[in-house]
Amino acid sequence: MRPFAYASPRTADEIIALLTPGSAGADGASRPLAGGTDLLTLMKADVATPSRLVDIKRAGLPKGIEETPPGLVVGGLTTLAQIETHPAVRARYPALAEATAVAATAQLRNVATVAGNLLQRPRCWYFRNPRIACWLKGGDHCPARDGENQLHAILGGGPCHAVHPSDVAPALVALDADARLRGPGGERTVPVEGLFAAPEGGRRRETLVGSDELLLALRLPPADGSRSTYLKSMDRKVWAFALAGVAARLRLDGRRVAEARIVLGGVAPVPWRAHEAERALEGAEAGPAAWDRAANAALTGAAPLRHNAYKLPLARALVRRALESLAT
Amino acid sequence: MPRLHVDRLRSGDGSEDEYRVVERTGLAAWDATTALTVVGRPYPRVEGAEKVTGRACYAGDVRLAGLLHARVLRSPLPHARIRRIDTAAAEALPGVHAVLGTHSAPAIRWYPDGLLFDRTLRFVGDEVAAVAAESEETAADALRLVAVEYEPLPFVVGLEAALRPEAPPVREGGNLVGPPKVYARGDAEAALREAPVVIDETYTTQTALHNCLEPHGCTATWDGERLTLWDSTQSVFDVRERVAETLGLPEHRVRVIKHHMGGGFGSKQIAWKHAVIAALLARRAGRPVRLMLDREAENLAAGNRNATRQRVRLGATRDGTLTAISARIEQDTGAYLVGGEGSNTSAIYQTLYRCPNVTTEQVGVYTNTGPAVAFRAPGHVEGAFALESAMDELARALDMDPLALRLRNYAEADQRRGRPYTTPDGLRLCYERAAAEFGWRRDRRPSGQGSRRRGIGMAAHDWGGSGYPPGYAWVKLNGDGSAEVVTGTQDIGTGTRTGLTQIAAEELGLPLERVLLHLGDTATGVYAPVSAGSATQATIGPAVRAAAAEARRQLLEAAATMLEAAPADLQLREGTIRVAGAPDRALDVADVTRRIAPHMIQGHGARGPNPDGKAVRTFGAQCVEVEVDVDTGEVSVLRVVASHECGRIVNPTLVDSQVLGAVTQGVGFALMEERVVDAGGVVLNANLEEYKVPTAPDVPAVVHARVDRPDPEANATGAKGIGEPPLVPTAPAIANAVFDAVGVRIRHTPLSRRRLLAALAAHRPEPA
Ligand SMILES: Cc1cc2nc3c(=O)[nH]c(=O)nc-3n(C[C@H](O)[C@H](O)[C@H](O)COP(=O)(O)OP(=O)(O)OC[C@H]3O[C@@H](n4cnc5c(N)ncnc54)[C@H](O)[C@@H]3O)c2cc1C
Ligand code: SF4
Repeated sequence: MRPFAYASPRTADEIIALLTPGSAGADGASRPLAGGTDLLTLMKADVATPSRLVDIKRAGLPKGIEETPPGLVVGGLTTLAQIETHPAVRARYPALAEATAVAATAQLRNVATVAGNLLQRPRCWYFRNPRIACWLKGGDHCPARDGENQLHAILGGGPCHAVHPSDVAPALVALDADARLRGPGGERTVPVEGLFAAPEGGRRRETLVGSDELLLALRLPPADGSRSTYLKSMDRKVWAFALAGVAARLRLDGRRVAEARIVLGGVAPVPWRAHEAERALEGAEAGPAAWDRAANAALTGAAPLRHNAYKLPLARALVRRALESLAT
Repeated sequence: MPRLHVDRLRSGDGSEDEYRVVERTGLAAWDATTALTVVGRPYPRVEGAEKVTGRACYAGDVRLAGLLHARVLRSPLPHARIRRIDTAAAEALPGVHAVLGTHSAPAIRWYPDGLLFDRTLRFVGDEVAAVAAESEETAADALRLVAVEYEPLPFVVGLEAALRPEAPPVREGGNLVGPPKVYARGDAEAALREAPVVIDETYTTQTALHNCLEPHGCTATWDGERLTLWDSTQSVFDVRERVAETLGLPEHRVRVIKHHMGGGFGSKQIAWKHAVIAALLARRAGRPVRLMLDREAENLAAGNRNATRQRVRLGATRDGTLTAISARIEQDTGAYLVGGEGSNTSAIYQTLYRCPNVTTEQVGVYTNTGPAVAFRAPGHVEGAFALESAMDELARALDMDPLALRLRNYAEADQRRGRPYTTPDGLRLCYERAAAEFGWRRDRRPSGQGSRRRGIGMAAHDWGGSGYPPGYAWVKLNGDGSAEVVTGTQDIGTGTRTGLTQIAAEELGLPLERVLLHLGDTATGVYAPVSAGSATQATIGPAVRAAAAEARRQLLEAAATMLEAAPADLQLREGTIRVAGAPDRALDVADVTRRIAPHMIQGHGARGPNPDGKAVRTFGAQCVEVEVDVDTGEVSVLRVVASHECGRIVNPTLVDSQVLGAVTQGVGFALMEERVVDAGGVVLNANLEEYKVPTAPDVPAVVHARVDRPDPEANATGAKGIGEPPLVPTAPAIANAVFDAVGVRIRHTPLSRRRLLAALAAHRPEPA
């Protein structure tokens, strides 16, 4: 790890000032530090080289879960462990509870924050290897494309084929959560889905959150009779990133599907909203035929690389299973 | 009575004759009828409290005044020559005390054809330079300041690529390590031509990484011309010899210490470069140096289990009698011969089944990746996967129960040398115990409903683990009647301290608490060989017993005078010496030792020879049940029943631990562990995140169906090794169970989801 400076401001404004290039005291290479479980490992791997870490845990930013009936607000600094064990989350937003519970390990979940989880960088083993240059790190090509791409994207890949690693993000997208952000120009609220975009051109990152913005909180709309779940497939029973994950939410009207969300994790550079699957479901009669149609539609446009075609049947199976479990 | 036998093993040219010295002890072996009170009991590890409270001191925990921290710069390229190296900036960095590299290090020979710091680099991770500094961070900063100009050379990664005729040579002379090692008995080709049933398949096993919890490394300090090394090694004496030789020091000025070990699994059975580098840095800096590898270095440059490709052909008659076994084996040696790779993948084909016609051909292949080294049952794990999968395929082809097929081809002798086993029914007992405990039956029921299918599988193995001479121990009795045992072996985490203490306490007639064992120190201990090959208990146990017996003899002689009885009439148990038939005439051991103090009773003991004309071996069988989710490719190992013949069980808890640990590693090898190397030669998963080892939920319920039967012909304690054997059959048993569950044969480890889903898709075309 290279040397860096450290600041621990007491207000959000001071944090943002330090993050904003050109403002007093800023040097353009500061990063907010939450739990540090991703940022510090990136620094050890020489992938992130911030000149200063700005600790955001002492500025009174939202932390914890606030019930705002009929919805819920989750502070950005809330740990995954707090979410996973929260009774209201478990009762009304099972997809979120389940996604946090299968993320990382118990030790990590005790310090990992939900904002940090959404903003974590890809786990691509080329990206994280300091010995290898790659496009996302500013190089000129993607060695994974024709390389060891067994863990890479089958949907929406290129120029970067890394998958978005978060389990939590697909759940939040499926639950139609919003994110409240604060930057030098004030606050804005966007759907969680809108935080993400596949890297392209000059923007070699997976998020649309500005480097001078803070993710303050997430707002979950009323569950409104929806059922939801998150299923994840890993190379071992626990402590692994998703080979594929699916967050599914269904609102049934009798035997008809009134509303559906299918969001895939681990298969695309962003949490992948499977619009075609949702369309296939909405209005359809709940049952195996609809689940099969949705499972196939979810993978529309999939373009597997040399070593990751196995993710297609895997993702399909998870979608089918998730829907089955929601309708019984 | 002449006790020292000096055999001339091999005649060289006069002075180069090789001799083997074996001391005979004349002790009657403890057999099944001997009543033992300390041996056989499940004592917790004697060092357990130290370990769980964090007080146990490992190689990297030694804190010396002025300690410096070292880091090693490693080659970023798979094959290159160093054109120029400039360490001036690194040396100028405040806090840096010593820098070593090709340009500045002494030309110390390493590997058969290289130097400690060589200009030619042959894998990503090869040592380029080393720095000792006030902190690890400063050392890492300094490494970034070392300017190296590399001349990239053509390279090759992977077994198949390296075997192609046009493959770039890893070294002059091509990529074959040597001529194939060929073994033949009978005529396998002819037998295969005539066999009514033939299995002919190719299996591959992956490169697996040891991932010891404690990485390789050491702390080195000089005291004038005396060097002390706390090294994480399985062999303090081998490290001492190598370090003394390379640094030109007499052996008595090098002291190597290993008190506790966080795993070695074979990867620490040789002296590695770090020990010499740390010693050189410490000498240059004039301060002690700690050099522990980080996880990446550990997984790049500290050994691995070689990948293999094995073409296996079995010939059999319709009743399941094997008529031919043929194996052609290629294995990925990596960039160098480190001297401890020793993967004899051929061996299991030669011994496990009775078969008159056997041919094995084994060739090592150089590639530009980290060198292979022994890994828990090296060769056998790889060979067993292929052979035991092929046997399962044969059983299916014959429509025969896999266990019945194995029993039909039961071997009672080592067919390589025509020697009967000391326990000819050892494996049969394992089959019986495992099958009974598991409820093994011929199982052809439809394999379950829905997407989750269950299946059962089994596999067998043999292995060495006999132990061998030489190996020594001393026993001293203190004035207060306590005893100390001194030996130069090491406890590599297996519980050697405890098992050996039990042997000494038993022979001395003392409770365990009155005996303390010292090991892992060349300065105070007598010679013991490397802790490898599952040999330590069976090698040093008899030496400890012999030393204790000698001390006991002296003790009873002294007591005889005090009790006015003949030594032969004395009984010694639980610290009390009694005259036979006269219960009131008794003395505590301490009463004797106190009265003769300051005289100290000392016993010397040696490992006696192995039996003439017989082969000592260990055996085992495992049955497993798996559940396969055909939709997700997830394999859950539900239960494993393991039965292993390792002679007398000195401590059931410790043996159970070896079985549990080995099965755990077997599950990893079978289902998830695999080093991934990019075409550019970079290991992509040299960390514990992407290199998947089993977690607690991955580990099945393991039942150890013990076979606790002394092998008195093996040695005076009747105990054999158990460290490696239980790993051998786990992976093929799992693969066979997966086949049973889903009807798809995976001939490649690991059986990852990726492989399984691909195979299932090919087997049963998916509905669009
Ligand atoms: C071994 C391991 C296994 C893991 N497995 C999983 C898994 O299975 N599933 C999964 O989903 N995740 C997994 N993770 C990821 C883990 O959940 C994230 O590392 C963690 O949630 C990040 O949170 P943090 O608070 O530590 O973030 P930090 O590391 O502190 O920050 C991460 C990034 O977010 C930025 N940031 C943090 N907070 C804010 C904020 N409020 N506003 C703006 N920017 C911010 C930081 O600047 C940094 O760029 C794993 C991580 C590890 C190390
Ligand atoms: S997939 Fe993306 S992160 Fe990975 S190597 Fe390619 S460009 Fe880099």
